[in-house]
Amino acid sequence: MTKIQINGREVEADPKQPLIRACHDHGGDVPMYCYHPGLTPVGSCRICQVEVAAAPGQPSRVVAACRTPVSEGMVVSTDTPKAHDTRRECLEFLLKNHPLDCPICDKAGECDLQDYSFNEGQGKGRSSEPRRKLEKRKSLGDVIVLDEERCILCSRCVRFFSDVTKKPQLTVEGLGSRSVINTFMDKPLEGNYQGNLADICPVGALTSKKFRFQARVWNLSKTLSTCGECSRGCSISVEALRAKEVKRLRPRYNAAVNQWWMCDTGRHAMAPITRPLAPEGAVLGGRLRGAAVRGYNGLELADESAATALAADMLAAHPGALLVVSPFATQEEATTALELARALKATPHFVSPAANNLKDDLLHTGDPCPNRRGLTELGFAPIEPAAALAALAKAPAAVLAGERVLEILGHEGLAKLPTKLRLVAYDVETSDIPALDVVFPVPTHVEKSGHWVNVDGHRGVLNVAVPPPAGVRRLDANLAQLARKLAATPVGS
Amino acid sequence: MKDFPKYLLSRVGLPESHTLRTYRAQGGYAAIEDVLKKPWTPEQVIGVMKDSGLRGRGGAGFPTGMKWSFMPDITKDPRPRYLAVNADESEPGTCKDRVLMEKDPHGLIEGCLIACFAMRAKAAYIYVRGEYRLSYNRLQAAIDEARAAGLIGKNILGTDFSCDIWMHKGAGAYICGEETGLMESLEGKRGHPRPKPPFPAGSGLWKSPTTVNNVESIFNAPFIVKNGAEWFKSMGVPKSTGNFLLGISGHVNKPGVYELPFGLTARQIIDEVAGGVWKGRKLKAFFPGGSSTGLLPASMADVVMDHDSVKAAGSMFGTAAMIILDETASIPQVMDVTARFYDHESCGQCSQCREGTQWLHQIFRRIAHGKGSMADLDLLVSLSNGMAPAKTICALADAAAIPTLAAVKHFRHEFEECIRLGRDPLRQDTQHAPELHEAHA
Repeated sequence: MTKIQINGREVEADPKQPLIRACHDHGGDVPMYCYHPGLTPVGSCRICQVEVAAAPGQPSRVVAACRTPVSEGMVVSTDTPKAHDTRRECLEFLLKNHPLDCPICDKAGECDLQDYSFNEGQGKGRSSEPRRKLEKRKSLGDVIVLDEERCILCSRCVRFFSDVTKKPQLTVEGLGSRSVINTFMDKPLEGNYQGNLADICPVGALTSKKFRFQARVWNLSKTLSTCGECSRGCSISVEALRAKEVKRLRPRYNAAVNQWWMCDTGRHAMAPITRPLAPEGAVLGGRLRGAAVRGYNGLELADESAATALAADMLAAHPGALLVVSPFATQEEATTALELARALKATPHFVSPAANNLKDDLLHTGDPCPNRRGLTELGFAPIEPAAALAALAKAPAAVLAGERVLEILGHEGLAKLPTKLRLVAYDVETSDIPALDVVFPVPTHVEKSGHWVNVDGHRGVLNVAVPPPAGVRRLDANLAQLARKLAATPVGS
Repeated sequence: MKDFPKYLLSRVGLPESHTLRTYRAQGGYAAIEDVLKKPWTPEQVIGVMKDSGLRGRGGAGFPTGMKWSFMPDITKDPRPRYLAVNADESEPGTCKDRVLMEKDPHGLIEGCLIACFAMRAKAAYIYVRGEYRLSYNRLQAAIDEARAAGLIGKNILGTDFSCDIWMHKGAGAYICGEETGLMESLEGKRGHPRPKPPFPAGSGLWKSPTTVNNVESIFNAPFIVKNGAEWFKSMGVPKSTGNFLLGISGHVNKPGVYELPFGLTARQIIDEVAGGVWKGRKLKAFFPGGSSTGLLPASMADVVMDHDSVKAAGSMFGTAAMIILDETASIPQVMDVTARFYDHESCGQCSQCREGTQWLHQIFRRIAHGKGSMADLDLLVSLSNGMAPAKTICALADAAAIPTLAAVKHFRHEFEECIRLGRDPLRQDTQHAPELHEAHA
């Protein structure tokens, strides 16, 4: 570590990192546009200028903190009038051609340029020249749209592809004030990581087609969570409009797992967490609103404690039940499921679908089971959907538990199961499965707290981002209740 | 003007001056032969270059020998090392290197060999401005001739010194004449200058130690090696030694490239070398060293043309490309054109330069077309101070800001006159220029 002085304080700085990191680590408020800790610094936007002297008493000069190495004894001031003035001048140039259309810009509220202009900018611009007229909505593929007028040419997006995915796709085209960002030969962007561009763009130039005009960001609540699309378990933030409706999933920095990035598959996995409810009074055609049991007219909504009692009775009367949980089951749910397994004298399984073809060398593992490692460590055995269905066809009774367990096993296969099977299920939604006797609703992974263990053994946290629908209880509470009931009614009695 | 020894242009007037035969007949390649066969050590070559006091002729005037000595010690740093010769001469007003490349290409090649020997470089790259087609062809032909004669390649002149020289053609960007922009371009990338540090001597071409020198600087090397540092120091003034090539253009009777010693005044050069201001008119102003150096008014024409004197007068010696403006020239129009150049040539990386060069141009254009306001003049000064000095990755922002500040300082009254009248009284054409950046719409 190198000893330097920042704003009068002696601090230790990492000599491998540029000065701007030391400034940020030690409370110096230095803005940045072209600098991103995950990308090669280029030092082109010049907004991170700070005053630096080689040693106390030495003459100082203003330098770009992102391209300045730290050196022993250097004296750094982020807050002097000279530093502020230099940054303010730079800001004025950056705003010269920026359209300042914040009221209609998706980035407003989380825009670095807006924030810094608000803090430091002049109330009135000095430019009377016409602003650049460029393309306002240039499609760069299925995910991203570019507003050339808002672009401040920081080149983060260009470097994202060359540094992170290692497949350059964007470039700066033209020279000087005629520069614009473009793909090579106007080809649309490719790959599973395009969505990150909307996150790294410091202004509203690159926005997500899916999120565009969906919400003002200051109305979004942000909840720490974990992505469930593969066993990488990227740390994410679940962002919901007024804490009710999930509008956006974004990566959250995690040095050990995903750094600043996430794949588009995970980012756009909105369907499983924004499923509409079944019509009032109905069991099918949307998310389950409450427990249901097979009655005269098929599955009918029922009182939950009565349904639990019925499930316990059935399972007690038909020993040898199979227990299969969802790969989305949290450690907490799985631990309760183990209690149930003991009560049922069943071997705990989790359904493990085959690897998909999304595996890449950046983040996606291709394994669609977010908690494979955690479930395996708890003693659950993986079972392929086809094998599970074959076992179910022979079993006297079964409990299928967890988010999307029925979907992963396959509704078609489930529909063919013999009706003599006593089947109890816990899932977000069900189809009309003839063998299904009792079904309970469960929350999705953005509606509950818990943990998953990723492929490398890191615990990813889940938190309640939006409340589950009325009448939907936690799965672990439901399983525990069933296990208690079974313990009171010994199996085979 | 009294007589003085000439050497830089001593061969250019000879018939077939670009051929190996002529060059050899004039004692060409004797310097490198001496260096290789005596033999000299690389340190001795750097030593004589340092002693000579030669200052780089590419604009900044940095001592060439000193620059060579920055290359890391080969025993501690085994990376390959390179020489890059900056022949991307594109500063408005500058046209001196072209004469050397077209008329005396072997002189440059011999200089490259000496420089490569001194810096233990295995290869030199000559980055030639794309528009200089004859320079490129002559140099390429000279390289081929020299290679055939065993002067380039493996075991030069039968010694264990090997060195290759390659050519690279620019594609028309001024910014590729900036040394790090040049290196990026040579590597096949966009000519975006690199932030320094690291400096080229530490990490240049392909992350290896590299020295970038101007054509004329390299061209001086064989003469210095052959005749010694004392000979070189006997010319010029104490801190600017040797002769330099002056490119003089604009409103003079005899524009052209001249070899001159340091120490003449600008007025002497204009009157005695370039035949005086044309059409019997009076001098109004001049750029002493290319369009990036601050414009000086006629009242300062007694400045001595050497690096330090011009600097003391508030401008720069630059590439010794004097642009002479007579009394009919409109400074607002001159600055409109100058600012347009920098707006067009900014690479666009740094915010201040990308937006600032455009902004300066827009303001100058308005003033020159009678649409300015008095507040514009203070804005020009304020913007220029926001762009320079040394606030950006390279010096292009400075190159746009420096002449702006000088023009407003020395010719404020002319700008004010344009603004007050709502037209430029010195404008001769009545045609209105198209709106800025129409192409973007």
